[in-house]
Amino acid sequence: METRPLGDTGHESTVMTFGAIALNWLEQEGANQLVEHVLDYGVNHFDVAPEYGDAELKLGPKLRQHREEIFLGCKTQERTYEGAWRKLERSLNRLGVDKIDLYQVHGLEYDEELDSITGDDGALAAFREAKEQGLIDHIGLTSHGDPGLILDALDRVDDLNSVMFPLNPVVAGKDGDEYDYEAVLARAEEKDVGTLGIKAFAGGSWPPTDELPEADRPFANWYRPVTAPDEIRERFDFAAARGLTSVISAGDPKLVTMILEAAAEYDGMEEAAQRSLIERVRHDDSPVPEQLHH
Amino acid sequence: MDVPKTVATALGDRPVAGKRCLEAGAGAGNATAGLLANGAERVYAVTTDREHARTTRRRVGDGGDGGGDTDGDGNGDSDGDNGAVGDRLAVLEADLRSVPLADYSVDLITAHGLCNVLEPATLSAIAEEFARVAAPGAHLVVDDYDPLPDGAAVRGLFAVENAASELSLGRPALTFYPAAFLRRFFAGHGWEFERERTLLEPVPWTESHVSAHADRAVSMAAEGPEETGDALAAEARRLASEIGSESTGRMYGLAFRLPD
Repeated sequence: METRPLGDTGHESTVMTFGAIALNWLEQEGANQLVEHVLDYGVNHFDVAPEYGDAELKLGPKLRQHREEIFLGCKTQERTYEGAWRKLERSLNRLGVDKIDLYQVHGLEYDEELDSITGDDGALAAFREAKEQGLIDHIGLTSHGDPGLILDALDRVDDLNSVMFPLNPVVAGKDGDEYDYEAVLARAEEKDVGTLGIKAFAGGSWPPTDELPEADRPFANWYRPVTAPDEIRERFDFAAARGLTSVISAGDPKLVTMILEAAAEYDGMEEAAQRSLIERVRHDDSPVPEQLHH
Repeated sequence: MDVPKTVATALGDRPVAGKRCLEAGAGAGNATAGLLANGAERVYAVTTDREHARTTRRRVGDGGDGGGDTDGDGNGDSDGDNGAVGDRLAVLEADLRSVPLADYSVDLITAHGLCNVLEPATLSAIAEEFARVAAPGAHLVVDDYDPLPDGAAVRGLFAVENAASELSLGRPALTFYPAAFLRRFFAGHGWEFERERTLLEPVPWTESHVSAHADRAVSMAAEGPEETGDALAAEARRLASEIGSESTGRMYGLAFRLPD
């Protein structure tokens, strides 16, 4: 599988990152099998979070067995120094490892949060101490929210190594600043910050829960995913061709193999074909930048 | 209103800011939106179709009938930082074979998806008007579709639409001109060719495109002789439901300039 430099970290990430939330929906044995399956395709970048149910615990056994092959991203929604330290220690314990390669501020949404994390008593102070102590190697940030806020974060946090944000053709077809994740991509490239794409496979929002209760959704994704192999491939190719370092797989285990196949076969996408895809879906709705992970 | 990436790409390397522009065949106002977003001083959006004129005013203009928005994205205006659109946009209901604009009065002309709805005689008359209204050094942007490849399902639907149109109006509804053809054709009207680029490949003929063409075929078939008309209408409906949507063919963008 193609690899790309993750900003200036020195790590070459595979063009697909495994979103380990998928493990939350499996029993331990199935989780082990899925991790082996993902590794068989050569994927070397995994991403997990304490908010993903039992995913940290279920990733643990295979992560420890294959620690050298896996670049591990984890994250925290804590915004304070104390909170971030507590969550980092908890994640290290649950994962059963000594170090997290990329520790990220999870789900930044509001300007005040950026003020909090960058403050003296903010989460980033804890991140930096943890880095000095060798508990984490690199610092990242994730957001489903306003691209302007991510741009601000890129300007204000000069030791950011990666940013994670939505990128898909529905959003790429829209003009408003609130959809302008392409600007984030450009700024990150300029600053040699790695870029991780989420919601590449979003087909739209789920119907309201009174119409379709969460338990009855056919896929364990925040959003309604595209599901046919050719659509998955198209979406993967699009996200990878826009210049992201790596595209994160969808949350439902049923989709993971199709995404692995697409990533393994990825060999670029012409600009005219990217525009074709944008044009085809540009009247669709998008779950971006709607907030969905709470 | 979101400017389609095809329009943005076609206009991306053209000097639009501060120019007097003619969108020839306004359609849904897509090129007009692109011209305004790129800072055109004034855009004359010309169409013979009253519904298209209304749509363009509504989607692109800031007056119209209440600023509604067919995109459903709640973003009915697109005037950006370039001042009120109302001062810069004139939607004219007029025939492109006699454009109500003075000689040498426009700096840039866009024909975005126009030529394929013109049969050769009309195309020829319109090209003469372009040459008349264009100022020395003016630019021309022609975006259109190559003939569809053999085996494309939508070809069958367009064939039915053309048959219905021939029966009711005596001319085809659609003519797909190869890029090389239009390149030589406009060169013959004095335009110097500058570049060609591929805007879409493949072209997404979405379900709404396909059903709009089927509807058009059905309504024209209704004007034809009863038995033939009915058969064409039924065939158009059958093809539309069979095709659903298809991605095939190529949309190209040509750019020309008049000598100073």
